[in-house]
Amino acid sequence: MNLDENKVLELQKQYKKQQHHKKIKHFVLCCVGILSFLLLWQLLSMSGLVNEKYLPSPAAIFKTFVYKLNHKAPDGNTLLTNIWSSTQVSVLGFLFAASIGIPLGLLMGWFGLVDRFVSPVFELIRPVPPIAWIPIVVVLIGVNIQARAVIIFLATFVVCVLNSYTGIRLTNQTLINVAKTFGASNFETFWKVGIPSALPMVFTGARLALGGAWMTLVAAEMLASNSGLGNMLSAGRKLARPDIVVLGMVVIGAIGAVMISGLNRLEKHMLRWMKRD
Amino acid sequence: MYYTYNTRTKLYKMMYWILPVVSLILLCLLYLLAVASNPIILPSPELIIQRFISMVSKPIKGVSIWGHIGASLIRVLAGASIAWVFGILFGIMIGWNKTCDALFGSVFLMIRPIPPIAWIPLIVMSFGIGEFPKILLVFIGCFTTMVTNTYSGVKMVNKEIVNVGLIFGANQSQILRDIVIPTALPSIFTGIRSTIDNGWKIVLAAEMMGAATGIGALITRGWNELDMAMVLVCIIFIALTGAALSFLIQKIERVLTPWDR
Repeated sequence: MNLDENKVLELQKQYKKQQHHKKIKHFVLCCVGILSFLLLWQLLSMSGLVNEKYLPSPAAIFKTFVYKLNHKAPDGNTLLTNIWSSTQVSVLGFLFAASIGIPLGLLMGWFGLVDRFVSPVFELIRPVPPIAWIPIVVVLIGVNIQARAVIIFLATFVVCVLNSYTGIRLTNQTLINVAKTFGASNFETFWKVGIPSALPMVFTGARLALGGAWMTLVAAEMLASNSGLGNMLSAGRKLARPDIVVLGMVVIGAIGAVMISGLNRLEKHMLRWMKRD
Repeated sequence: MYYTYNTRTKLYKMMYWILPVVSLILLCLLYLLAVASNPIILPSPELIIQRFISMVSKPIKGVSIWGHIGASLIRVLAGASIAWVFGILFGIMIGWNKTCDALFGSVFLMIRPIPPIAWIPLIVMSFGIGEFPKILLVFIGCFTTMVTNTYSGVKMVNKEIVNVGLIFGANQSQILRDIVIPTALPSIFTGIRSTIDNGWKIVLAAEMMGAATGIGALITRGWNELDMAMVLVCIIFIALTGAALSFLIQKIERVLTPWDR
């Protein structure tokens, strides 16, 4: 091998340059994709092929976005009030359900008797889609924030319990045996071996649950509410204002994406000990 | 020592069978208490059973309960099966080809976070409340799941195996058929399973927002007439159908993917 060091360095540099070029190319293509999508949409609605009564152009939606920032018409709240009200309810409902559901799932997965006590009831609620609860909860509690929080709680709770349960069930038996051999009590093993090894699944559950909570909230607000983004959507539909509807969809999608990526950050931070290089 | 161990296991075994019964009894008592404190809204157990029998024996809005469930199921299956075909094709396309990934994947990522339920108003405005808009909604919801699953399955393909294929002179379509798709299959099946679950939820929401037939339409009818017994019976039927669907899909998956056992 008589590759001299300079040549190796040069090759390395070349390789890095290539990777860099690939990244730039990828980014440019992404931009081209999104921009041409928007442009095509705009052109289609300007040429009249797509009726603006059904699908407004991106420019019209942007105009509505600016207008909605400080106007209450037509649904009775400004955009920011709607965003605040929806986010608040879904995050609160999610946190409440996660703080009960995750520990419950972990306990159920580890202690057989807890499992036996909770599962019969849990198995009864589990197959019911959260949206089906809306009528009962609304009739019992009324059209208010509490009702929406309860619906979100039901939507989130089930997913959190299921994933924590599966996560802790998948704990490596060898690790448990090691802990027991070294004299750890059952509870100590649960706390120091079971829970850490269940965490990745717990986070998967939390992510699914947050997505579900957001979707269910939108449904709840569309069916029974006087504020929030879902209400804005259904108001837009009733008043035949597709620009309001599409604006609502875009904002709902964006906030959902932001919440999920926030949770991903938290997961990376909390599970950094798992990465061993 | 032996004695205490034995009594402990005996106690444990006893509790193992008693606890589920206790929790179910507690739940029933809780419900009865709720009925007692809220007799106008919450139906008593007898009323629920009565309503159950009348709903099973008499048609509602001219269609029997089985007809309503069937209508919902057909919508789910129609939307989901179209989504399987297009989702798998699109997922393989953006998973395999980097240029396609950048061009179309970016647009897909932009649309994906919009929950399917949020599409309902727009679709109802454009297409009304007939059969097509419901199938379209199920399709939208299932398509995103299907693409995501196929995409991540294709991304799991081992680069080394692909390189071996290339060295032995396979062309792109052979690599795709013999290496990439078999690797992605388990992930694709996971996608199919979750589309059925998702589709069932979405069709329910779509029917609750406006439909003539379907189990979701029945719930809304019960809600509007403040007939909570009807709502509860519907919930029971929805849960049973959902559970049966999951069970069925699991069985089918076992037959189709024997290597996964």
